[in-house]
Amino acid sequence: MAEHINMALNSIFVENMLLAYFLGMCSFLAVSKKVSTASGLGVAVIFVLTLTCPVNWLVNEYFLKEGALAWTGSEQLAALDLSYLRFLTFIAVIAAMVQVVEMFIEKTSDSLYNALGIFLPLITVNCAILGASLFQIDREYTLVQSVNFGFSSGIGWFLAIVLLAAIRQRLRYSHIPRGLRGLGITMLVTGLMAMAFMAFAGIDLKGN
Amino acid sequence: MKFIADIFDKKRPDFEKGGKLERFYPLFEAQETFLFVTRDKTSSGSHIRDYMDTKRLMSFVIIALVPCLLFGIYNAGYQHHQAAGTYDSASIVDIIVTGATWVLPIVFVSYAVGGTCEMIFAVVRKHEINEGFLVTGMLYPLTLPPTLDLWKVAVGVCFGVVIGKEVFGGTGMNIFNPALTARAFIFFAYAGDMSGDKPWIIDAPNFLADKTENLVVTATPLGAALAHSANPLAETPIAEAMSANYSAMDMFLGLIPGSIGESSTLLCILGAGLLIATGVGSWRIMLSTFLGCAVTAAIMNLVADSPSSTLAIPVHYHFIIGSFAFGLVYMTTDPVSAAQTNLGKWIYGFFIGVVVVIIRCVNPAYPEGMMLAILLMNAFASLIDYYVVQNNVGRRMSRVATA
Repeated sequence: MAEHINMALNSIFVENMLLAYFLGMCSFLAVSKKVSTASGLGVAVIFVLTLTCPVNWLVNEYFLKEGALAWTGSEQLAALDLSYLRFLTFIAVIAAMVQVVEMFIEKTSDSLYNALGIFLPLITVNCAILGASLFQIDREYTLVQSVNFGFSSGIGWFLAIVLLAAIRQRLRYSHIPRGLRGLGITMLVTGLMAMAFMAFAGIDLKGN
Repeated sequence: MKFIADIFDKKRPDFEKGGKLERFYPLFEAQETFLFVTRDKTSSGSHIRDYMDTKRLMSFVIIALVPCLLFGIYNAGYQHHQAAGTYDSASIVDIIVTGATWVLPIVFVSYAVGGTCEMIFAVVRKHEINEGFLVTGMLYPLTLPPTLDLWKVAVGVCFGVVIGKEVFGGTGMNIFNPALTARAFIFFAYAGDMSGDKPWIIDAPNFLADKTENLVVTATPLGAALAHSANPLAETPIAEAMSANYSAMDMFLGLIPGSIGESSTLLCILGAGLLIATGVGSWRIMLSTFLGCAVTAAIMNLVADSPSSTLAIPVHYHFIIGSFAFGLVYMTTDPVSAAQTNLGKWIYGFFIGVVVVIIRCVNPAYPEGMMLAILLMNAFASLIDYYVVQNNVGRRMSRVATA
């Protein structure tokens, strides 16, 4: 249990997807003008990350990695190493998952579907999602860890975008030089936020 | 003062609209309002007349900082003579002169370089030069070790003023505390010069001191704590290792190595008194930061598995070592970068206290966490305010709905 809490805290604060790895920057910069929309996107990212991480884990475990096809019983298939297909497969899986999730939400909950709106399909191209799937393979997580990792990385992403949105809402009242308005100041704020998040860099939660 | 006023009156036409020095009006205005009352008068409509404008607010912070600066000068000299072994033969004048040769150039560079950046922006963007800079320019050198190279001081203050403040539109608009932004920049860029686990090394004696090479001042108590905790063979309780060179009283009074202004808890308490009495600093933030630190430190003590780990630093030591007191009094209460709502201030302060102890106890990368804790909560302040306000709106809406 302690190990899972450590892992969650680690991916939310220490190795934050946005502020430590700078993954998923495009939607982070584009959809952070208001806290309400930012949190909508954040929730969608949590949702998709929590689903795609374990699914991609299963795909990798039973189809892609070296010797993964041994369960078919065929020696020829068992000798295959399909890990070079990882990028392609993962992206396809993510796109498919997002579509499935979208259809599912549309059928079951109108209010959630409307709240997420356009952000749900946009998540397909969010690099944080692909990044998380690739990180978990690199770090050789188990299936349970992969669910935890996906979920807590999503929380970390959510936290970062909501923080930025709150700051940007406040910046509406400030007198920013013309050339820096919009993206320029957002990049600067992101950098300063990342510097503040360095507070946690170096905390080793895996060791104990 | 009459003759100074006359000079200003005589020169005024040059700087006003249509004058030949019109571009430099902000410089003129800053000088004049610094010395005299502002000439701008409200001519119509209702208005509030209050002497507590930003300028007075900032002057109180400066006054509250002066004791820390003076003691910082004394302490720099004291540490220098201790390390050189000349303390017994040095008179108090020697100590102060030595300290001043370390400290005053840093303060001077901070004001000169930072002031120049501020002036350029004021002239180009046609805003007033605000006394906010006087505070930033004073706070920043007080957070530096006295041995820092002057060009690094200049680079830092430039970054703090431009990226920390001016790009947001100047005083009152910034998100992060400019003095801490400057310090954090130097901290990460030249980590070797800044961190508390490395003692000051005085290799080039300054021009007034004796020709002593490579003085090494012992590590700061937090640096010693970190080193002790990292040593697997260490058995003694951590408090003992920390007070091996300094008693708790020394730490409270401030006769310990550290950044220029941070060492004396006593003077920070006096400063806190002045800031609270004049209403400049928020007592809510100060109290909640204190509580956050105390509670977290107590929990850390409970879960500490070995008396020699940093988790076991006694609660009261957290208050008197490092920059906790200085940051709590002068940095967390910065009215611009802190949370603005009252409830928000409680939350903001409390988590600064929590994060500070977490960094000190759990993060082996940094011995001290006050700067990063405050910057982190600066980033959270807007969000805290947002939710406090939303919560308030929601409550009132529900009241309307039920009525």
